[in-house]
Amino acid sequence: MLKKRLIPKLLIKHRQMGNTVMPVLVTTRGYKGVRDVGDPVSQAKIYEANLADELIVLNIDSTPIAGDQLMLDLIERLASETLMPLAVGGGVRTIEDFGALLDHGADKVTINGAALTDPALITAAAGRFGAQCVVVSIDYRRGDDGAPRVFSGLTGETSHDPVEWARRAVDLGAGEIVLTDADRDGAGEGLDVELCRRVADAIRVPLIVSGGCGLAAHFVEGFEEGHAEGVAAGTFFCFRDQSPMQARAHIRNAGVPIRLEV
Amino acid sequence: MRPGTVRVGIVDYSAGNIQSIENAFDHIGARTQRVRQESDLEALTHVLLPGVGAFGFCVDKLRDTGLIPALERWALTEGRPLLGICVGMQLMADRGEELGVHEGLGWVGGVVRELRADPPCIRVPHVGWNDVRFTEEFGPFTAGSSADFYFDHSYALTAPTQGVALGLCDHGQEFTAAVRRGNLVAAQFHPEKSQSAGQRFLQGFLELSA
Repeated sequence: MLKKRLIPKLLIKHRQMGNTVMPVLVTTRGYKGVRDVGDPVSQAKIYEANLADELIVLNIDSTPIAGDQLMLDLIERLASETLMPLAVGGGVRTIEDFGALLDHGADKVTINGAALTDPALITAAAGRFGAQCVVVSIDYRRGDDGAPRVFSGLTGETSHDPVEWARRAVDLGAGEIVLTDADRDGAGEGLDVELCRRVADAIRVPLIVSGGCGLAAHFVEGFEEGHAEGVAAGTFFCFRDQSPMQARAHIRNAGVPIRLEV
Repeated sequence: MRPGTVRVGIVDYSAGNIQSIENAFDHIGARTQRVRQESDLEALTHVLLPGVGAFGFCVDKLRDTGLIPALERWALTEGRPLLGICVGMQLMADRGEELGVHEGLGWVGGVVRELRADPPCIRVPHVGWNDVRFTEEFGPFTAGSSADFYFDHSYALTAPTQGVALGLCDHGQEFTAAVRRGNLVAAQFHPEKSQSAGQRFLQGFLELSA
């Protein structure tokens, strides 16, 4: 049977180091509070050794990927130094950007702001590369009225409800949805399981949930109560005492089907 | 065949994750080169047909290269080793039903149809790690054994009419995860992304010789 996925999320920022600019792995809290971790490729190798099921790599500077040779080079290094499935995004605006990332070793491409400003891009990319390659990432936060609203770096806050936007993105051709609660990002206090389940139950494609994992039990909640196919986390995998293998064992012992060996 | 003596040609028709496949062969010590025209086949021991994209797009792109007769001679007439991956496998069917009906290469027969979604348990695309049961021995995999491989697809081959279903997988329904007709092998999953199991599968392919 299909296994549930544990997905480390590599957030990348461009950092000036002396005369050169380097891609650096960071973590965030509430999409702010950026904390540098180190070299993304070394960290990816550790994740591979710990049986990560795939990686999400996001350029959180969101510089347009078309002119971002640094990011393309990073993807090429990740693809050559690990043998893991890579979903890559941040700064993807056009169908040519999909092609460039796939040529450099990405397996899937995630779009966020561009899907909101140009929904036809979802359909065009699915027609060219297949729906399985097109991942729509949905970030939301709750306003003063408590209602979740979709936002992106490109559009700012929108009036979209995450459930409705996910359903529409799938109708347009998205093959996977990544749902992230920005308020819970990096807090380690658990996922927004209730909204996760509402989105998952509204769509036929796999849902990956992210934002808030601090314990192995939070992953279990995402799978069992949130109906997610994958749980992604950045901070959880970067800074913790328990090894990812112990987390996997805990999740497996809770009855969730996941890989334990290669 | 030892990895040092093989030379794998990867068909480059602008519809594949060639970089990832080159990397995977590099990890097991096999040399690769890209195949863009018939003369590129000359020095090769093995050929790999990748494929990422919609069926119709890929089959058109492959036809545009003019390589199909040469590949057919390589794989079917001469019986030399050829491995198709993902849509590279699907193209070997009689036809594909993705965004319209498209004629395939007919090398293994059968039809490529969309998997049926049945949420919340069965979602399509079928993405992630699923166990493949081998129906017969292939490289290090014994008949009856199974291993987890990485999948990322919405369409799958029903059943081959030529050759055998080498590996079977379940996702709401049973589908052909790998097929074999002599030295012609194809996989719906991505061995190049399947870590150790994937490397063992590629090694199994490199053990084939005409």
